[in-house]
Formats: sequence, structure tokens, C-alpha cells
Amino acid sequence: MPTLEAPEERLRKFKYRGKDASMRRQQRMVVSLELRKAKKDEQALKRRNITDLSPNPSSEKLAKAVSLTLDEIVSRVNGTDPHLCFQATQAARKMLSQERNPALKLIVEAGLVPRLVEFLKSSLYPSLQFEAAWALTNIASGPSELTQAVVEGGAVQPLIELLSSPDVAVCEQAVWALGNIAGDSPELRDIVISSNAVPHLLALVSSTVSIPFLRNITWTLSNLCRYKNPYPCAKVVKQMLPVLFYLLQHHDTEILSDTCWALSYLTDGCNERIGQVVGTGVLPRLVELMKSSELSILTPSLRTVGNIVTGTDQQTQVAIDAGMLSVLPQLLSHPRSSIQKEAAWALSNVAAGPCQQIQQLITHGMLPPLVALLKNGEFKVQKEAVWTVANFTTGGTVDQLIQLVQSGVLEPLVNLLSVQDPKIVLIILDVISCILQAAEKLFKKEKLCLLLEELGGIDKIEALQLHENRQIGQTALNIIESHFFEVNDFAVERGAHISWWADQQ
Amino acid sequence: MELSDANLQTLTEYLKKTLDPDPAIRRPAEKFLESVEGNQNYPLLLLTLLEKSQDNVIKVCASVTFKNYIKRNWRIVEDEPNKICEADRVAIKANIVHLMLSSPEQMQKQLSDAISIIGREDFPQKWPDLLTEMVNRFQSGDFHVINGVLRTAHSLFKRYRHEFKSNELWTEIKLVLDAFALPLTNLFKATIELCSTHANDASALRILFSSLILISKLFYSLNFQDLPEFFEDNMETWMNNFHTLLTLDNKLLQTDDEEEAGLLELLKSQICDNAALYAQKYDEEFQRYLPRFVTAIWNLLVTTGQEVKYDLLVSNAIQFLASVCERPHYKNLFEDQNTLTSICEKVIVPNMEFRAADEEAFEDNSEEYIRRDLEGSDIDTRRRAACDLVRGLCKFFEGPVTGIFSGYVNSMLQEYAKNPSVNWKHKDAAIYLVTSLASKAQTQKHGITQANELVNLTEFFVNHILPDLKSANVNEFPVLKADGIKYIMIFRNQVPKEHLLVSIPLLINHLQAESIVVHTYAAHALERLFTMKGPNNATLFTAAEIAPFVEILLTNLFKALTLPGSSENEYIMKAIMRSFSLLQEAIIPYIPTLITQLTQKLLAVSKNPSKPHFNHYMFEAICLSIRITCKANPAAVVSFEEALFLVFTEILQNDVQVMSLLLETHKSDIPSSYMALFPHLLQPVLWERTGNIPALVRLLQAFLERGSNTIASAAADKIPGLLGVFQKLIASKANDHQGFYLLNSIIEHMPPESVDQYRKQIFILLFQRLQNSKTTKFIKSFLVFINLYCIKYGALALQEIFDGIQPKMFGMVLEKIIIPEIQKVSGNVEKKICAVGITKLLTECPPMMDTEYTKLWTPLLQSLIGLFELPEDDTIPDEEHFIDIEDTPGYQTAFSQLAFAGKKEHDPVGHMVNNPKIHLAQSLHKLSTACPGRVPSMVSTSLNADALQYLQGYLQAASVTLL
Repeated sequence: MPTLEAPEERLRKFKYRGKDASMRRQQRMVVSLELRKAKKDEQALKRRNITDLSPNPSSEKLAKAVSLTLDEIVSRVNGTDPHLCFQATQAARKMLSQERNPALKLIVEAGLVPRLVEFLKSSLYPSLQFEAAWALTNIASGPSELTQAVVEGGAVQPLIELLSSPDVAVCEQAVWALGNIAGDSPELRDIVISSNAVPHLLALVSSTVSIPFLRNITWTLSNLCRYKNPYPCAKVVKQMLPVLFYLLQHHDTEILSDTCWALSYLTDGCNERIGQVVGTGVLPRLVELMKSSELSILTPSLRTVGNIVTGTDQQTQVAIDAGMLSVLPQLLSHPRSSIQKEAAWALSNVAAGPCQQIQQLITHGMLPPLVALLKNGEFKVQKEAVWTVANFTTGGTVDQLIQLVQSGVLEPLVNLLSVQDPKIVLIILDVISCILQAAEKLFKKEKLCLLLEELGGIDKIEALQLHENRQIGQTALNIIESHFFEVNDFAVERGAHISWWADQQ
Repeated sequence: MELSDANLQTLTEYLKKTLDPDPAIRRPAEKFLESVEGNQNYPLLLLTLLEKSQDNVIKVCASVTFKNYIKRNWRIVEDEPNKICEADRVAIKANIVHLMLSSPEQMQKQLSDAISIIGREDFPQKWPDLLTEMVNRFQSGDFHVINGVLRTAHSLFKRYRHEFKSNELWTEIKLVLDAFALPLTNLFKATIELCSTHANDASALRILFSSLILISKLFYSLNFQDLPEFFEDNMETWMNNFHTLLTLDNKLLQTDDEEEAGLLELLKSQICDNAALYAQKYDEEFQRYLPRFVTAIWNLLVTTGQEVKYDLLVSNAIQFLASVCERPHYKNLFEDQNTLTSICEKVIVPNMEFRAADEEAFEDNSEEYIRRDLEGSDIDTRRRAACDLVRGLCKFFEGPVTGIFSGYVNSMLQEYAKNPSVNWKHKDAAIYLVTSLASKAQTQKHGITQANELVNLTEFFVNHILPDLKSANVNEFPVLKADGIKYIMIFRNQVPKEHLLVSIPLLINHLQAESIVVHTYAAHALERLFTMKGPNNATLFTAAEIAPFVEILLTNLFKALTLPGSSENEYIMKAIMRSFSLLQEAIIPYIPTLITQLTQKLLAVSKNPSKPHFNHYMFEAICLSIRITCKANPAAVVSFEEALFLVFTEILQNDVQVMSLLLETHKSDIPSSYMALFPHLLQPVLWERTGNIPALVRLLQAFLERGSNTIASAAADKIPGLLGVFQKLIASKANDHQGFYLLNSIIEHMPPESVDQYRKQIFILLFQRLQNSKTTKFIKSFLVFINLYCIKYGALALQEIFDGIQPKMFGMVLEKIIIPEIQKVSGNVEKKICAVGITKLLTECPPMMDTEYTKLWTPLLQSLIGLFELPEDDTIPDEEHFIDIEDTPGYQTAFSQLAFAGKKEHDPVGHMVNNPKIHLAQSLHKLSTACPGRVPSMVSTSLNADALQYLQGYLQAASVTLL
């Protein structure tokens, strides 16, 4: 699961301020470790088809569904009578489609998978192919070992062949099944890719295809873009991008959402990957989608743009030129804190750019909403906002720092010094120290110190000298000593061995 | 060492001896134990003793010795031998948990500490069983054992509260969560159940509540870095139980002690912390529990007494409310008028009252009181917490809160008016309330928060503060006087100037108050007022405005220093310094008395200097009086010397800066009185204090500047000592620039023959340092030095000294240091020195023209042009980022701790060279006339085009051509 958290990396970049601008952008790192529950607003990895109404009413008419026990299903499936096979497969599919506690594992343990795979190939009986594909779709929607069982049962190749089936329902179900398989892991995704599924999938996209079908295709494509370590190979991505660009012009919410998710996966990586996506000219449309009132579109489009601005300064500039900065203020004050957080994260990476980009950030009125988030945001949002300020102070000119201070950033920063997060505390101390140094150059330090005092900053920094985290204690001490102390206490240098000139002779 | 009875016996005897009060017996025993601790089985012998010894004293002694042994030796340091053999390590880890849990409490604590030291190194990778072993004990049902486990777990996990997130840390936490979270939760539930079954058994309850405290602490540690999935899923269980515990009371657990917090208080306090953690960091998930906690904590506050033992609980609880009430989405929890009134009335006002403990501190521990009250080190006090809550509530409810409090303020003032001597505390609370309500307005002048226009500060000042200060008796109601003075101090920017002016004589009057707090506040308030800036950046109060009070001000300030408890009061001394600074010439008539009083003070404190701030301001004041007087009458310097010198010789360590100033004021050679001091300045002990170094270097520089000839003739034997100082300084990365300042002064001012014999060694030392640790700062200083040397002794001398150390060394220095690094030199004077030095190397050094060094001629010229024209190279290698960049040197000591003793910048080449570019052009021209044709060809063949263009510019400007 991708995550916004990569503070180690960020801090390292932060520490070497000004030394290597390209290092300052925060890549969205995969932290294999998460203490948290999985995120709720991410895209579904796998989906089970639990439609009550069969999408293919004809098959329903042809044979009335029969209710069978698992043993009966097993024995009939292994028979040769196509009709009985169909009945049994359908019964199995129904078991797998139950809303509650579907017997996914039981069906696999009963050894049905190989037979279901066989049925995929029975082109004479499209309704049997359909039921088998559906059953396999739902098995593959289960935990990894079940998806694995479907792949090991040899389902991938026959499913890909079904993409060319004249029967639309069969074809659609195959798309779905492949989506579930690809969504499991990078390994299974690559099995689907290396079986050459992509060209067949892409061929299905046309203006005549129905919207539900197109949704399925889009979702499956998005799963083929998902996962890094490793990424899907660049060649396949190149094949998919024009189609994704096309899908992004659609008006259907689900299609747009899944297309954006696909792009968010593709941009969640190194600058070359980002460059591939930026090169398609997709940014203006993405920025437009960031204005969507649909959360399901807004979330992944914002994520994608956020990913893009982790890239090079040029890539970031393309996003800025596409107007992202005029959309961000409203997202920074979005009612959902998860959107605020994501927007603040994107902003923090713009702030990590050269001072020209920081200037654009100021020009677009980003400072007031940023300060508002620092003041009133939820903690996870405040954290991103602090990072934004940190990057800003690192790369900003003295004039820009003045504007930052004038926007009232110090008050909430000082308040956040009492937050229970050592890293954030340290960063704020660094920011304060950086601003003090700038003020010193302008001979405005006294005024700034007074301001900090009035905000209760000195009290807090002094108290932090006793923080159990040594780095925080030391940084606080340094600030107090170099900016707030008129007299330094005499520090005795210890352990220095003195070898006097006179002694040597 | 065998695990034998004989060895156990020996060990027992030595352990016993380590407890002996006689050092002659104790020390050798300690030495012996240290000498054998490297042996295999030593720790196991200790563990055996602490388990099996018959003697309880030996058991405890063994446990302490064991813990200290672990502390010293367990950690394996890279490149150092492993101090504990592997077999012992394994045996210790296998036995220690069991041993800890079966030991009586005294030893349990030692062993628990030892476990956490070991755990810090070995857990989890090298001690995989530890968690399981601990968790299994939860089932024992024996709470002595369970508490031992919990305590150990707490000491292992508490670092999660302050360490930065890292993969390693999170891997460990995940492992701990997987093994520990569920058993801990079950234990929590079981313990709470046991509390109700044992509700009438005081001793059982005490043990169970100790467990609950530890469990709550563990909860905090485990939830600190992020909200773990397990705890999110089990939030219901934890929060419901926490909530119940917050509201729980049991007479059996109440303590009689007024000071020490009891188990109930500690538990509830920790629960407040836990709730605050969740409210702050995991708001989204915690939202639905929060209102209940707000109510519970508020009720808790309303029902908790004034005793000191509740302080931590109360301040934690108030801080919780303060942090919640300023969040927009919880606004609704507070907005009801009744709620607000109730919070103001029952939570804020009672906690703002001046308590007996405050009164005690005011009278008997005034230093601590001032520190807390004035310098804001009152973070954990109730008053402070109540103040924060007021500010938090004002964010959304400024109007209603101000309204509610205005009513309170009025009624409290009325109470006071009825009977001041009985009810003075009501007025104190009223002032405190007004202060905390309005202090928001302080930031208002900076345009950050909105004004609380509902508080009329001037009116309150005129009606309620001034009358107190005007009362004839400065010693009456000292707390109220202090409050009033503090009010002026805090609201000095809000109260109009004319009112402040009225208060100045009143403040001067209060310098005589007996109460330390009152006269200190008066001094501090005056000092603050005198620093206030008016228009045009001038001080708000002019010397003329204060003139009518000069005499009484100075008299009272110095008198205040004689009041009991204030003989080294830094606030008073600071006020003295500030008064001098503001009044300038107006103090001249009083100088004789002032300087006598200051020198007496100086003499007194120098015997036992303990207050660095006080001393600092005193020196500032002395410097100021010298400045002010000598500006008007330079001859007066002699009278200062008479007054100060005797004292100064006694207290060398503190006076060096003042001495430098005095010395620099002399136009000619050094008076002999100073020369007598010179040898003392070279004492190693003086140089051991880093803080002394800048001042001492500056003083030595002043000696060299003014007295180099005297030193060379009369104190030549002291030159090695001088160079010894230099040697010590350049050995330190932090102080090497100071060493160069000194060296540069030696080179610049000492007669060459006096340092001749040491020159080569100076260079050898510099090269050693270059080899050992080359930093950018050192290189920069080194470059300035060799160029200064070149200017002073000539280019040829520089080449010869390098090549005399090692053949071809000069070329190496040119190629590896001067040419590539010269761009890094910063500072105008420094750059100029380098430019002139390099010009000399180019034009006055024959080997540069006709040896293998010739190939470096053009690159050197190119780098010189670069120094003139290119931006300074301020890159610093990554590995040097941890060196304090503040230390970046200037040619002159940038040091000016005493602001009023600052030193002017000094340009050693100023008299020779005005424009170094013209100087280069002229020198090149001169060289080209000496060897016609060569210079133009060298220049045109390999100088790059840009540089060539610049060079032509210089030649044109100097109106010379190259022949």
C-alpha cells in the first residue's frame, strides 16, 4: 500500500538544505511497514461479482438454476454432459456469489479450479464459459493463495483468449477475472502481462462498447498499472498510456476514477516513469479533474498530480503550468481531511522546488490556506503543512521568507512545538532556526525574537532543551544559545590533550 | 573464574568491602572487582550471589554491582573487544527475567534496569524469547510478577515516545505489537475486573492500581508513533475502560499526603495523557469518544482539590481541555453559555488563585518564583495551564469569556476594596485574570491575532495598578506590588507613553522595596522600558526625559544591590547597564562613585564568580562607563586604569575584554604595568575554557599590536609560550581560526628576527593539521595566513620555507591548495590579503619564472582573476556540515560578547595597496619590463578568454601595458 510517510528520507533531504535541490523533493516511498490499518479510500484491489441478476439473461432462461450440494457439484462437473456441467458450474458460481461467507476456499479445496479452466475453453458453450469465468473471477477475488490457485490452474491463457470471444458477456467476465488476478501482486500482474493480455485488452476499448464493460476494462487496466517493486515494464506502460489518455476524456465517474488511479500508480515512482506520463500531455485534464466534486475522481487525480510534482523541476513546472496551483487552495480547505493532507503533500513538493516555483506558490495565494491548515488541520494534515514550510524555508529567498513570516506562519508553528511527534518538532526547530538566520542577515533578528517570545516560542524551545530525544535537545539548545542568549555560559572543553610547544622542546 | 564456592566466597568478601565507609578498604576492593570483571563467569557469579546469598546486604550489593557491570560492558562497540564472552551473555539472558521476577522489589528494580540495558542492545534480534517469556508471566496471576514484567516492558518500550521513525524502530514495534498488544489488553480487562472484586481490599487495590498505571504507560508508548491497527480495532475496550477509571473514586486509595500524588492521581493523569495523545494525533478515529472524555475530565477538575498532590493531574487535565477547545470541530462541546460559565468559574478561576505554596515561594524562594513567573518556566503549573485554557477558549468564545471574566474581575476587586489586608489575594487573582485574558493583545501589535478590545488595559492600569504603586509604603502587599510592576512590564507596548512616564519614578521608588521579587521586578521593568523603541528606531524614552531622575535612579539601583538576597541580582545589574546606555553623558558627573561601586562589586564577585549573567552585565556597564567618559575626555583613561587595574590583575579570567579595550586605547607602546600581565596570559589553565578563548586571543592580539617590540626585547623567552597557545588552538576544529588570528598578529607585528627560529616549525604544525583533518574553515584560514606571510616576508621566503620542509612542496601547495581553493576565501580584507600575496608570488618570485613551477604561473593568475571576478565558492563538503558553520572565521576576531567593547576591522595591507586589481596590473607590468616578451606569451597562450578580457581591463585601468 502506498503511503505518504517517508520521514527518514525526507529529513535526510531536508538536512542538506540548498546543497542539492533535486534531493529535496519527497518521493512517495514504499514503506513496507505500516502500524496503521489499511487506508479506506484507496481503490479496490479485487472485486467479487455478486450481481443478483445475471448480466446474461439468456443463459438464465436456457436453464433454470439448480441448487446443488458441493458433492453434487463436484461429481457433475467431472462428468461429460455439457448440460450437467453447466448446471453444476452455475451452482458453484452462485455459491461463490453469495453476499455473505462465500465458500471460496471450499470450492478450491474441492478441486474445481482445473475443471473450471477447462470449461473456459469450451467455445461451443458460451454460457458455460461465462459461468466458469464468473466462478473463477470470484475465486480470484479471494485471498492471495486462492488467486494463486486460479493462476496455477492455468486460467490466465484461456481467459486472455476469451477476450476475443464473440459473446460480450463472456468477454467482459474474462476481463474482470484478469483484473482480479493482476490485482493480487506484482508477480501475478506480470504473469498476465507476459501472457500478452494488454494488446487484447486495449483492442476492446472503443466508442461502441457499453459503459459497464468499459468500466471493467478500465479497472483491469488500472490493476495492470498497479504495484512497484517491480513496476510494470516500461514497454507495456507505453502501450497503455494512449488508451488511458483516451479514457481520461470520458465522462463516466467510475471510468475516470479508475483511469486516474492507473495514472497515480504509474507516476508513483522515479522521474523517468513520471516523465512517461507527463509526456502524454495528460496534465491539463488531470488538473481539471482535481476540481471534480466526486471524491472518487478527486482523490486519484490529486494523488497523480501530487506524484508528478515529486519529479524534476521541469515536470513540476508542467503541472504548475497546467494550473494545479489555482486548484490547490480550494483543496487545502476541502472538508475531507484526507484531501487536505494530499493537497498539502503536493504543495510541500512544489515548495521543494527552486525559488521561482516557490514564488508561484505565493502568487497563487497558497500561504493563507497553508497557515489555516497549520492552525486547524488534523494532525496528519498539519504534518504535511509543516513539511511544506520546511521545504519553503530551505529553498526560499530571503524575501520569500519574509512573506512566509508575514503570513502568520510562526504562531501555529510555535504551537505545534508541543506536538507528540519528535520528527515534526525537530523540523519546526530547524525552520525557526533558519528563519532566525535570515532575520539576522536583515538585521531584523531582534524583532523576530520578540515575536517568538510573544508567541510563547522561547518558553517552548527552552523546555525542549530537556527533551529526551538528544537531537531535539541539542537543536533547541543551539537556538537558545545562538539567538536568545546574550551571554553564553562558559563551556569547558573536555578531553583535549594539550601538548605545549614549550614541552616539545 | 570458575563458578565455585571458593570464588563465591571471595566475591562476597570483596563486595562486603565495597560497602566499607573507609576508602582505604573500599577503594582497593572496587579496584579488584574491576580487575576481574573481564573474566568469564564473573557476571554469573554475581547472579548466583544475588539469588543464593544468605546475606541480604550482599544480595542487594550484588544486584547493584551486576547492573553497573552490565551498563559498562554489555554494549559491543565497533573496533573494540567484546567485553563479555558469548557464553555469559547467553546465560544471563536465559536467567535474568526469571531472577528479576522472583527477587524482592529492591533487587527487582536493579535487574529490571539491567534487562532494559540489555534489551536496548539485543532486543529483538538477539533476544527473541524475551517477549514470549514476559507475556507468559501475565497468566501467572501473581501481580508482584506481573508488575515486574510491566515495569521492564515500560523501560524497554518508552523510547518509542521520543525516537524518530525508522524502519528498524517500526520493525521492533510491529513485533512487540504482535506479541504484546493482545495479552496486554486481556491483562487490562482482567485487572479492572479484579479491582471490582477487591474493591474493599486496600492492599490488593494498591497493587492492582500500580499495574493499571504501568499498563496505561505502556499504552502510551505503544500508541505513540502511529495508531496501530490492533489498538484501532480495540479502541472501544481501551477507551471505555479509561473513561470508567477517570470517573472512579475509591476511598481506600485516597492518601493523606498533601504533596505526593497518590496512585489514583497518577493513573488519571496518565489517562489524561493518553486521551490527549489520541485527541491530538488520531482525531479522526478518536472523535466519537472525545466528548465523553471532555465531560469526564471537566468533572474531574471540578471535583479535585487545591492540594499540591493534584497539581500534575490538574495541569494535565486542563491542558487536555485547552488543546481540544481550540479545534473548530469541537467548538460545539463548549459553546453553551452554562458550560462556559462553569468552566470559567469552577476550573479557571480556582486554579488561578494565589496558593499558600505560591506565597511561600514568593517570600522564601524568590529566585525560583521569579524564574517561574518572569521567565515562563512555569509550564507545568496550574496557573499556566489555566492561562492556556483561557487563551484556547478565547479563540472561539472571546466575547462570552471576556464577559464572564469581567464580572469576576469586578467582584474580586470589590471584595478587595472591602478589606484589602484580608482580601488582597482577590485582587491578585483579578490582575492575573486580566493579564491572561488580554495578553493576546500583545501579539496583536504584530498583526497576528485579533485584538481583544473588550479589555481596556489603560483604564485598568490607571484605576487599579497605579494606585497600588503610588502608595507611600513600598513594602505593603508585596505580591500586589509585584503584580502591578509586572503589569507595566507586560503591557508596556499597550499602555500609552505618558502613563509609562508617570510610572518611571514609581518604579525607581520600588527599587527600595525589601521584597526581592518587588525590587527585582522594578529593576527589570525599568530595564525593559529603557530598551523600548520609539519612532526612528531611537529609544522611546530620551535621556532628557529621564534626566530629572538620574541621581535617584542610580542611587536606588546601586542600593538595591545591597539589599539582602540581591547582591548579585542580574536584573538590577542589567538595569544599571541599560541606564548607562540610555543616559550617556548624563552619568559623567557620577562616574567616580559609580566606578568605585562597580570595582568593589567586581572585586567581591571575582572571589567566587557564580552568576555569569550578572558578571556579563557588570562588564558591560564598566565598558560603557569607560566609553562614555573617554569619549568626552581621553585623558580619563588613566583614572580608569588606576581604579580598575588592581582588580583586574586579580581576576584575569573575566576581565580580558575590558583590558583589550583599555590596551587598544593606548596609542603608543604598552605600559609596563600591562607587560607584567603578559606571562600570565599564556597559562594553559586560562585556555582550557572555550568561552575564554575569543577574549584572550583578542587581548594577546592587542599586546602584539601595541607591544611587539617590547615583547621581542623584554619577553623573548615568552615567544614559545605564545606559539604554544597557537599550537593548541589550531589543533581544534572549533578554535583553529582563533589560532590563525593569533598567528597572523605574530607575523604582522613581531620583528621577523624574533620569530625566525620558529618559522619552520609553525609550517610543520600547519601541515600536520592539514593531513589529519582538513576542513574548509582551516583551508580558508591557511590561505589567508600564507598570503600574509608572503606579503610580510616576500614571495621567495614563502617558496623557500615550503621547499625547505620537503622538496617540491611549494608546487604541491600551489597546485593542490592555492589554485583550487582560493575561490573559497571570504571577507573583503581576507580576499585582499590573498590577492596581494598571490600577486607577489606571480611577480616577485624568480622560481615561478624559470623552474618546473613555471607551468603553474598561468593557472595561478587565472585563479587570482577568478578570486576577483567569480562569486565566492561557499560550498562545504557534506561531511563538514556538522561543524558549526557559525565559526566561519574573519580576519579579525568577530568576537564581541561585550557589545560595548567591540573592535574595529583591521586591514593589514591597507597602507600598501588600495586597489588590488590595479596593483596586479602594475606588478605584472613591472615583471614584464624585467623579462620582456615572456609575460604576454604566458598570458596569451593559456589564460582563458574571459580571464584575459578581465586582465586587459585591469591593465587599461592602470594605464600600463605588458612588454
